[in-house]
This record gives sequence, structure tokens and C-alpha cells, in this order.
Amino acid sequence: MLKTIKPKGWVIFLYLLVPVAAFVFTVFVPLITAFVYSFFEWKGGPNKTFIGLDNYMTLIQDEVFWQSFGHNIYLVVACILGQIGIAFVLVMVINSKLVKFKTIHRTFGFFPSTIAAVCIGLIWNMIYHYQYGIINWFLEKIGRPDLAKVWLNEPDLVMLLVSIPLIWQYIGYYMVIIMSAIASIDTEVFESAEIDGANAFQRAVYIVLPLIKNTMLVCITLCIAGNMKAFDNIYVMTKGGPGTSSMVMAMYGYQISFSQSNMGYGSCISVAIFVLSLIVIGGSQGLLKRIMREKEG
Amino acid sequence: MANVNTEIKTHKLRDGILSVFLNLVMAVFSLTCIFPLIWMLYSSFKEKRAFNADIIGLPKEPTLTNYIRILTNSDYHLGESMMNSVRTTGLSVLFIVLFGFIVGYILARVKFRGNRLLYVMFLMGMLIPIHSLLVPIYVVFNNAGISNRWFTLLLPYVSFGLPLAIFLVEGYVKGIPIALEEAAAIDGSSFSRTLWTIILPICKPILVTVAIIQVFGNWNEFSFALVLIKDVALQTVPLALTQFKGQFASDYPKQMAAMLITMSPIVILYFAFSKEIIKGMVAGAVKG
Repeated sequence: MLKTIKPKGWVIFLYLLVPVAAFVFTVFVPLITAFVYSFFEWKGGPNKTFIGLDNYMTLIQDEVFWQSFGHNIYLVVACILGQIGIAFVLVMVINSKLVKFKTIHRTFGFFPSTIAAVCIGLIWNMIYHYQYGIINWFLEKIGRPDLAKVWLNEPDLVMLLVSIPLIWQYIGYYMVIIMSAIASIDTEVFESAEIDGANAFQRAVYIVLPLIKNTMLVCITLCIAGNMKAFDNIYVMTKGGPGTSSMVMAMYGYQISFSQSNMGYGSCISVAIFVLSLIVIGGSQGLLKRIMREKEG
Repeated sequence: MANVNTEIKTHKLRDGILSVFLNLVMAVFSLTCIFPLIWMLYSSFKEKRAFNADIIGLPKEPTLTNYIRILTNSDYHLGESMMNSVRTTGLSVLFIVLFGFIVGYILARVKFRGNRLLYVMFLMGMLIPIHSLLVPIYVVFNNAGISNRWFTLLLPYVSFGLPLAIFLVEGYVKGIPIALEEAAAIDGSSFSRTLWTIILPICKPILVTVAIIQVFGNWNEFSFALVLIKDVALQTVPLALTQFKGQFASDYPKQMAAMLITMSPIVILYFAFSKEIIKGMVAGAVKG
């Protein structure tokens, strides 16, 4: 009966041909390619030698790779605490009746998340700069020029310093997401809680948080996925240095493949990034859902 | 009575202090978000020497030399990069919206063998950590001889943008009453005609959302451009900026001017339509 929903097969085929072909070619073909080349020794030239699992054996013992993986996890944790944590506190503040100019705060706060990570990295390079940076300028103004450093050259500090721009860039983003979730809650809930004498902290933790837990789950997932692929900021700010103190997985894969043109091992690292990211994202999802269900039960 | 009065007074005082404190917190936050932009804006009007002498002060002798030098010196390829970014972003967004609409609609409404398979395939595209494709995509594109061309970046940008677009359109179309298409079919409207003249206008809001998300994402994309584009004349804006970093290592005002020029389309777009943009980005994030 329905001609609309039952168009001719070739019409559908023609409509789907280009997008499906493009998608398969750019997503699945490279995935399979990486998998195949990960079993070869290949320095980018015409010679490829099949070496079985050798690349994977090297990878398991490659301390730099596992250090990079650790740095990705560091970024994930720092950003969940920093971005979502600070964003939640700010939402509690901005939702207070006493705060004015809410729209302006929202617009300004969201702004950094629309800027290219490359720009953000360059701006923070300037902020951290030894001679012309704002931090050292400030230290001099308060009379502590002795504390001034070439900030991004400090191996112990560098991970913290590269996570600050990342955190800063997305606080407003998560703030807006959480705000829109809270806006959909019935305001009566807050009013009755206020009448019952719950203070601001109690209201935030015991009433708001459980009501927006699905949104928080989305935020955490975005945070994890976003930081497993950290690359742009690191590339611009430190290229993984000093040494390998701020190396992340994508940066390491890039260096091995393009600076050392070790494409075989680079492919192996790509497969590892793929698998590890899926494990971390999937695992954390399962864990979070279980925690939430236990809380309910 | 006096007691009640003082109680009200202390209550008011407490509210007053709290109000100052809370407003201050938000003001500081907003300021840190916007400060780098303002700092770059006024510093870009300084000469290098003036900036190095005082990095934070307002320019005493504002000058446009930084902008003039950047825009007139063809070695910097800034104009070209802007054109490349405009073309790449424009075409990518167009194709994502177009294909997202077609595929999203077909997956939502047309029953055919493989419908669910395709849906799952595109859904997987959202779950796949695409940065693991950075190296292999270079290999595949090089072998196929399509890296380092003007259209090279369209393929990854469209492909990576499609899953979210399809997902959003599919969900949206499912909310449209099917009676509409049934009526059109009875009136003798063909599949394509219904698709383009009836469904497309209805889907406009969700397609605008898709476009907003993708404009920002594609304008700012860096890593795949870095891997796939080697020719300076073909580079997009983020690539050009990393070049500047090397060229003007210690000339911050010039770097700032370059950054502001490349950011300007995004910044203007954002502040002109911030409400719609924020709404669109949040909808995309939460539903995706």
C-alpha cells in the first residue's frame, strides 16, 4: 500500500551508495589496513617483512607506550575532576537567585570550547612562556621572581601544566550541559527541599545530583572519549616532551610512524590505541552503570 | 520585636555577602574565559618591542603593522589557508548535512534487508576511537594517491561527521507522523519528491543543529590535516598556525594577530548566534 516507504530498490541503492562507500573507505579500510600492517616490519619504503607478533611483543615491553597510556588516563581523571567537578560547582553558583548576568556568564564560559585546540595550546604557550609569559610576569609583580621557571620544561610539572588548558577549555561546555539538565527538573523539588531546611550543599548532592545522573554519565563518557584521543594540545605545547614526560598515545603513534617512519610498529600502536580506548570507554561505562544501579538498590 | 529585627538584618547581611561572593565567583570565571581573547586583541596592536617591554599593558601607540605584514607577505600563506579552511569546512558540512539527511531518513523509514546492519555500522562509527585511524588513514590515502589534494580532507571530515548526523536525523524523522508521507504517496508523489519537498523542510531544525556542530568541529580540526596535507598551499588554518609558531617564535603580537584573523569567522559566528549555537552543541553532545 505504501509507495513512499517502499521505493524501488535501485533508488535506495543510489542514494546510499556514495555515503556508505565513503564511510567504509575512510573508517573500515584503514582499520583493517592497520591490523594487517601491524604484523609487518615496514619502514615506510617498498619493503615489508612479515614478522608475526614481533611488533606486539615489542609493544608489551615498550615503557614509553605504557607511560603514554598512563598519561591519557591521567588526563581523563584530571578532566573528569576538573571539568565536570568545577562545572557542577559553578552550575550550583549560577543557579542561585542571587547571581546576575547569567546569560553573559553562559556565553563567555562556553566560548573557549568553540576555539581550536591548536589556538588554545598556542595561547597557553604564551601564558607559560619564560620571558613573556603571564605567569612569570605575575610572579615578578608579587615579588617572587625566584619562582619563575621555563614551565613546560619541568618533567614533574608538565602533565599538570598541559591538563590545565584542557580543563579550562571545557569547564563552560560541561557547565552548559549540566545547566540544561537541571533546567528540565521541576523547580518545586528545590523549593520543597529549601523549606525542609536542606542547605545548599545538601541540595546539590542529595537532590540535584541523583536527578541529573544520566547527564553526568554522558559528561563523563564525553570526557573519557575526548581525553583518550588527546593530541592537538600536546602537539602544539610540548610534542610529548621534555623527553617523554607528556607523551600521550596518539602523539607517540604519530612520532613512531612519521618522525621515525616506522610504519609497521606505528600500525601496531594504532591497533593498540583502538583496543585500549574501547576497553577504557566500555569498561568505565559498565562500571559507572553498576555503581548507579547499586545506589538505587 | 528587636530580636526579630536584628535577625532579619543579619539575614539580609548574610544574603548580601553571599550575593557578592557568588557574583564574584562567576565574574572571575567568565573573565578567565574571555581574557585571553581580549589580551590577544589589544596586544596584536603592539609592536614586538612594546609588547616585550610590557606584556600586559594596553598599547600606547596602537599600530596595524602586524596585520598588514601578515596579510601582505605571501610566504605566510594566511589568505590561502583561510580559503582552504572555508572551502573544506563549507563542503564537508554541506555533504554531512546532505548525506546525513538521506541516510538518516532511509534508515528511519525504509524497510530493506541490511537496514539494521547499516545502522549498526554507522553507530559503530561513533564508538570507534577515530584517532587510532591517524596513521592507517595516511597509509591508505597515500596508496590510493589521494593524499595531499584539495579534496583530501573532505573524506575523513564527512565520514567522521556522518554517524552523529545520521543518528540525530534518524531520531528526528521517527518523530514525524508517517501519515504525512502516506498522504503524499496517495497524491502520487514519488519517493524522491516526498523526500526533498516534504521531509527536508520539516527536518530543517535538526539539520541546522548538525551544521552548527560540524562547522566548529571541521574548522578547528588539526590532527588529520597534519597527517594528510603536506603542501603548504593546501594547508588549513590550524596547520598554518603551527607553522607561524615556528616562524614567529618570539614575535607574540604577530602570532596573536595571525590567530585572531583565523579565529575571526568562528568568533563572529559564535557571538552573533551564541544562543542557537550553544543549544545545538548541547543537543548534539547529549543525544550523541
